[in-house]
Amino acid sequence: MKRLPAIVVVLCFLTSPVFSVQEAPSLTFPVSGFTLKNGLHVILAQDNSLPLVTVAIAYRVGSINESRGKTGLAHMLENLMFQGSRHIAPMQHVSFIHKIGGTMNAATTEDKTLFYQTIPSHQLVLALWLEADRMMSLRLESSSIIRVKQSLLDEIRNRKERDPFLACSLYFDRMLFPDESYHHPVFGKESDIRMVTIEDARRFYSQYYGPNNAVLCISGSFDDDEIIPQIKKYFETIPPIKQIPPPSISVHENPPGGREEIYEDYMIPLPGFYLGYRIASPLHEDFYPLVLIEYILLHGMSSRLQSRLIRRERSAFRLSGGIDIKKDLAAFRIFVQNNNEATKELARRSIQSELNNMRNFPIPDREFDKIKSMFIADFIKQYYTSEDKALRLINTYLLKNKIEDPSQELAKYLAVTPATIVGIMNRYFGRDQFSLDLKRK
Amino acid sequence: MRIEASFHDSARPSRWTLLLLFVLTVAPIRAQERFRRSPPFPNPLPKLALPAIRSTVLSNGLGLSVVQKENHPLVNLNLIIMAGESASPDELPGVATFTARMLDKGLLDISANRIHETIESYGGSFSAEVHQDYTIFSLSFLENYLDDALDLLSRMVREPLFNRREIDNVQRVLFYDIEYKMRDPEFIAKHVLYKILFKDHPYKKMAIDNDAFKNFNRRHLTTFYNTYYKPNNAHLILVGKLNLAAATRKISRHFSTWSRGEVKRAIMPPPKDLESTRICFVNQPKAKDTAILIGFTVPSINSADAFPLIVLNQVLGGTPNSRLFMNLRESKGYAYYAFSSVDLFKNCGLFTLRSRVRPEVSYAAIRESLREIERIVNLPIPNHELEQAKSYLIGNFPLTIHSMSSFINRISTIRAYNLSEAFWNQYYENIMLINSGTVFQTARRTLGKNAVVMIVGDIYTISDQLRDFQVEVYDPHGDLQYIINKGAVE
Repeated sequence: MKRLPAIVVVLCFLTSPVFSVQEAPSLTFPVSGFTLKNGLHVILAQDNSLPLVTVAIAYRVGSINESRGKTGLAHMLENLMFQGSRHIAPMQHVSFIHKIGGTMNAATTEDKTLFYQTIPSHQLVLALWLEADRMMSLRLESSSIIRVKQSLLDEIRNRKERDPFLACSLYFDRMLFPDESYHHPVFGKESDIRMVTIEDARRFYSQYYGPNNAVLCISGSFDDDEIIPQIKKYFETIPPIKQIPPPSISVHENPPGGREEIYEDYMIPLPGFYLGYRIASPLHEDFYPLVLIEYILLHGMSSRLQSRLIRRERSAFRLSGGIDIKKDLAAFRIFVQNNNEATKELARRSIQSELNNMRNFPIPDREFDKIKSMFIADFIKQYYTSEDKALRLINTYLLKNKIEDPSQELAKYLAVTPATIVGIMNRYFGRDQFSLDLKRK
Repeated sequence: MRIEASFHDSARPSRWTLLLLFVLTVAPIRAQERFRRSPPFPNPLPKLALPAIRSTVLSNGLGLSVVQKENHPLVNLNLIIMAGESASPDELPGVATFTARMLDKGLLDISANRIHETIESYGGSFSAEVHQDYTIFSLSFLENYLDDALDLLSRMVREPLFNRREIDNVQRVLFYDIEYKMRDPEFIAKHVLYKILFKDHPYKKMAIDNDAFKNFNRRHLTTFYNTYYKPNNAHLILVGKLNLAAATRKISRHFSTWSRGEVKRAIMPPPKDLESTRICFVNQPKAKDTAILIGFTVPSINSADAFPLIVLNQVLGGTPNSRLFMNLRESKGYAYYAFSSVDLFKNCGLFTLRSRVRPEVSYAAIRESLREIERIVNLPIPNHELEQAKSYLIGNFPLTIHSMSSFINRISTIRAYNLSEAFWNQYYENIMLINSGTVFQTARRTLGKNAVVMIVGDIYTISDQLRDFQVEVYDPHGDLQYIINKGAVE
């Protein structure tokens, strides 16, 4: 018998001598992690400041695990997880959480499916009971498949109607990530969704929804002595999945070369364009300066592109973008909407001139200090509520397979220098540019 | 399914061996996992232990409240000016909003751009929000910039520039902002409802039209500013590591030069009751669905009805488990959603029922909503239903102060309306005290009155359903267009 918890780490933000101007704030919070006998990894982060607790669980399965002709299956399973399990009726999970005053949500990405609820802390065990039941014995019946299919198809149709930029955004996605596993949106193709059978759903569930393919995080107010026995009681007897199949389609290691294309559609209301670059994986050390580059260019009204395009020149009326992560691949994208073709050209030239400037000149100290302050504040906010903390801890764990000490992580960002930024700009924002010019048909 | 899967069928076991195996393996697993069959009992409700709100008044009359939060390397500040949109001159609705938007738009020696850049360099963010009775400026930043941030905020409050170019910018932004919101039928419904329900009341000024700003000049803004932006008409709230004594020293240093002045306060009578229930319409040709908003004026946040109203709202339409949703959506299938809400202010409150329904059942949905009101006014709420609503409110309360901004905003409301601990550490007890009798009394008194029924949708699909009523037809700005008399069909 293994004794639990196996590892207990206390993470804290430390004032480290690395930072000359920007001092990392001192903030401590306890985090511990351990693995149950059946392979379920558990992360605990206690904070008793409010009588609330977040119970989040992520399964390592997403749209990249779907095979050809079965797109949308992962997202469909996310929805089916609310359609009842052995001891819980359809949609009862939702009403249990609502009745006690809690909130809940779920999400599917390329590589994970996430379920989380924030509830009054004295009701913690209710969430364990609900999550364990659907991990162990999801009820998959034709009636629920039909219901979910219909609501997903409605949702896709609504999204397409509401968002005139959805189709071109997905098109640009395919330019940036030409690997087949990323060729379809997470919500799937409508024709595939219509064809999903109950056997497909059952197979998918039994292949991926097991304790050894999941991470459970409990963050907020809980009783130290009570929590581990309760987690073991509800989760440890759930049998593991024997063999978790790897994604069926492999991903190319080398990013593709740049491309320029024109996209014409009657849906597009005004001219605009996408600009993108493939960048280092979030696991690579270049990722830290890349995040700061996102801040320099796009974060806040005084960021380089916002202040130039929106405030000074008024060449764009909407500007958005940033780093887009798909599992361990990443891209930097910028989306601009303009009033007319002339301002579009101006905006395009201005972006190039700003990128050029950053490739050639180090960012001034004062501006860099501002960027770091903004970054530190945002970093702290990611750990503010029990829910923020749970999601952040789970995401980091899924990406890096370990609980990362936030102080060490922050230190890596703050160690970036203006010279590093110049180097990184030249490495990733030079050649190999992707652009998609949006025109109304 | 998976538990039984561990049972392996070995070489032809006899019936007895099977039974024995069953008893030894499956049965004990089943027995020990009986706990999976029904939801677990919750632990006892923990006592609410929110940090204390400690307050003082500085020599110039500026109120200060401090809530200490350990392990919180950000400072959150809310500056409340005790004048909101209801203080705008009657002929100039929107002046309060416009004035508030000018605070971060430049000082004599610092441009608007520079202010934004400076706030960002503190890891900060700034926003302004104008309510009925007060205005809140929120500033958050990294704690090591405390002195710089206080200095900047103090200057922004004491010496805003009201420069012509920035006035033009704000005018443009506010115009498009309201024009954009006017695309939302629910916004239109609320906009027109305010104009009708608060016809002769200052809260009517919350419904600002986008053309309201075009005639504003610098003088209008400075007059409003000079009348209300005084330390003795303001309250500062600070959430961070500082205690009251340390915070008082810091705040005094940066805000003591802000000089007090006389603030005149208009006496506000409560809104007049409606003489009859009014059916009001805003036409949106070809609308795919109908937005319905039914509104009542109710007593103020400081009245004894406040907590009964909160519970009443929960039973009627607070969540998808409440009566309106269960009736209009789950049982009848009329609505995409159907909720109610209660917003309580200084002078009175607003109770609304809102739903989005299929056009062909618009009238049926209104009828059902009014029936639900009738039911709650005429029949006491059964105890189990009341208890469910109360346990929701108690469980949900910490979630309403979960985020950084909702935490400080709750404290701001408490200070702005001078509320007791009932809205902070005594919240649980105050909800628990409410019984079916008190809610029933409050319901009779507050919802047993006439209401305004606002309908936003396609008049050609709906008017036939409303032929038994007199219908007032308005434009989206709340100007009466024409009246369809009872019995008349378009």
